[in-house]
Amino acid sequence: MELDLDESSLAIGRIERALSRIEKALANPPKQPPSASAAPAADQSALRAEVAAVIGELDRLIAEADRG
Amino acid sequence: MADVKLMIAGRPYDVHCADGEEAQLLQLAAVVDEKARGIQGGTEVRQLLFAALMLADDAQEARGKADKAEPQSDSLRAAVALAESREAAARDELRAAVTREQAALKELEALRSAPAAASAKPAHDRALLQIADRIEALATKVEQIS
Repeated sequence: MELDLDESSLAIGRIERALSRIEKALANPPKQPPSASAAPAADQSALRAEVAAVIGELDRLIAEADRG
Repeated sequence: MADVKLMIAGRPYDVHCADGEEAQLLQLAAVVDEKARGIQGGTEVRQLLFAALMLADDAQEARGKADKAEPQSDSLRAAVALAESREAAARDELRAAVTREQAALKELEALRSAPAAASAKPAHDRALLQIADRIEALATKVEQIS
């Protein structure tokens, strides 16, 4: 039997796994003291911007898919 | 009104008829004359009586034949009606088939013009893959920070 997953299914699988990794990382306590592990403010800001951008892109894709 | 002179069983008769009917009247008189002459002997009245009886017999026989022919013409009419209804049904069926074919052609044309819409899927797939890349990178960063 030959199974063929389309690219969108593969991408969704990757996204789900990455989100799971993020969830897991956020649930785990920091490995080092906060002072040493805290990311610089610029990195934090870039991270937030990237999260917002990805969420925006996902929203756009979902809206397009809803329009068919 | 026209005046016509008829000769039946050897005796002349002056008769009036409507204009234009003279020929028909002469033809009818010829039929009566033929019948009357066919009867030999007897008085003129007797000849005419027998001629009238024979013509009445002919008329009755002809009517009987017409009555017998009526059912045949009825069945002919029924056959014609059946053939006409079948032809109408065939025409309707053909029209419906043409309509179906036109609808199928339109559908096909719509499908042929659809690739523009269908081509949106690869674009979505690419966008999803790019998002997967970015979220994976985010996950890596979050894992490093945590």
